[in-house]
Amino acid sequence: MQLYRKKKIEIVVEAACAPSIIAMVEAAGATGYTTIPNVSGKGNRGVRNDAHVSDVFSNVLIIVIAAEEIAHRIVDESQPLLKNYAGIVAVSDVEVVRDDHF
Amino acid sequence: MIELVQIALGNLLSPIVLFFALGVAAGYVKSDLAFPEAISKGLSLYLMLAIGFKGGVELASNGVSLTVALALILAVALSFAVPFVAYAILRATTRVDTPNAAAIAAHYGSVSVVTFVAATSFLGNRSIPYEGYVIAMLALMETPAIISGLLLARRRASKKAEKGAPFISSQLFRQVFLCGSVVLLVGSFIIGWITGDEGMTVMAPAVQEPFKAVLAVFLLDMGLLVGRRLGDFAKIGIPLVLFGICMPVVGAAIGLATAYAIGLSIGGMTLVAVLTGSASYIVVPAAMRLSLPEANPAIYVTLSLAVTFPFNLVIGIPLYLAAARFIGAP
Repeated sequence: MQLYRKKKIEIVVEAACAPSIIAMVEAAGATGYTTIPNVSGKGNRGVRNDAHVSDVFSNVLIIVIAAEEIAHRIVDESQPLLKNYAGIVAVSDVEVVRDDHF
Repeated sequence: MIELVQIALGNLLSPIVLFFALGVAAGYVKSDLAFPEAISKGLSLYLMLAIGFKGGVELASNGVSLTVALALILAVALSFAVPFVAYAILRATTRVDTPNAAAIAAHYGSVSVVTFVAATSFLGNRSIPYEGYVIAMLALMETPAIISGLLLARRRASKKAEKGAPFISSQLFRQVFLCGSVVLLVGSFIIGWITGDEGMTVMAPAVQEPFKAVLAVFLLDMGLLVGRRLGDFAKIGIPLVLFGICMPVVGAAIGLATAYAIGLSIGGMTLVAVLTGSASYIVVPAAMRLSLPEANPAIYVTLSLAVTFPFNLVIGIPLYLAAARFIGAP
């Protein structure tokens, strides 16, 4: 089967910042995204998993698959948005089946 | 004085406080006892619905008067004003910077619904009546403090503020005014007001009898949260912890004076003191995280959740009742 090379961007971000990241992802030209709420773990702000009562300490994982230039745009534009927020951005190479979906 | 000690001890040994203490202890020793998130959210929704509905029914049976209108206006004014007092105290007594002081101040102008609900249950156990519209005051006081907090933060930061950025973004507006707890509280208050006593006969099995037991269960969950945060005390420092204990008393005094001036009952005065003395830990932290990201959430959440909330629950509520009795006694 024919596979097409794309970039996968994974952004772990605190819940408060997720809506602005998602708006940026769409504005950058990505055709879609996947979110996984309430992910927990440890980073340079310590353990973040306190998802109860207040959403201040909960994280969201946002996964975007896009063409390379869109992926670069998302990575660049994510940095000013993540100032003062907990956030991890990682990019990897993936292959997809349906080229026209991304 | 002996009576005050008796009330305080009675409060200390109520199921509500004991379950809370169990939660704190279990959280502190890192027990794996935990409520599934859906259940704690559900319990908190139940409490909002029940307290809102009861307030509406009370208002329907007592009717709207000039005092009610005045009380509601004053509620907004208090929520708006208290952060300025809190900010002044913070700047004078601690070394926190402007964004953190503004964010903390906003929490103290807003209210803690659970503290309020515990106070109504405390009054209920002693058969002390209170005005139902105080619950409408609760709903109104949740948000004005957020605007004060932002004003306090922007005043100093205006030089470097980005031009064109709106003071309140649409995301913040939605989060603050359409937040689930505010919508449910106001909505069930209105439903209670429309349906009155007849509505209460329908709803009583759900909102009346199980109410105190559900509150105790919810406080066990709150205790777990508080217990897990106790380790953060060292990070925030003694001056701030002292602020978290003194500010509720200052706020409560402001509330008591206001409630006395408009002629509320002893129960009503106690509840207004609880409103001005309590600090938010749901709506305001979320709003501050969005609008004042420079401020450290570990500081303001620890202060309002792990210092002020337990203080009010255990000492504040009986103290405010005693003070209300003292100034309300003819």
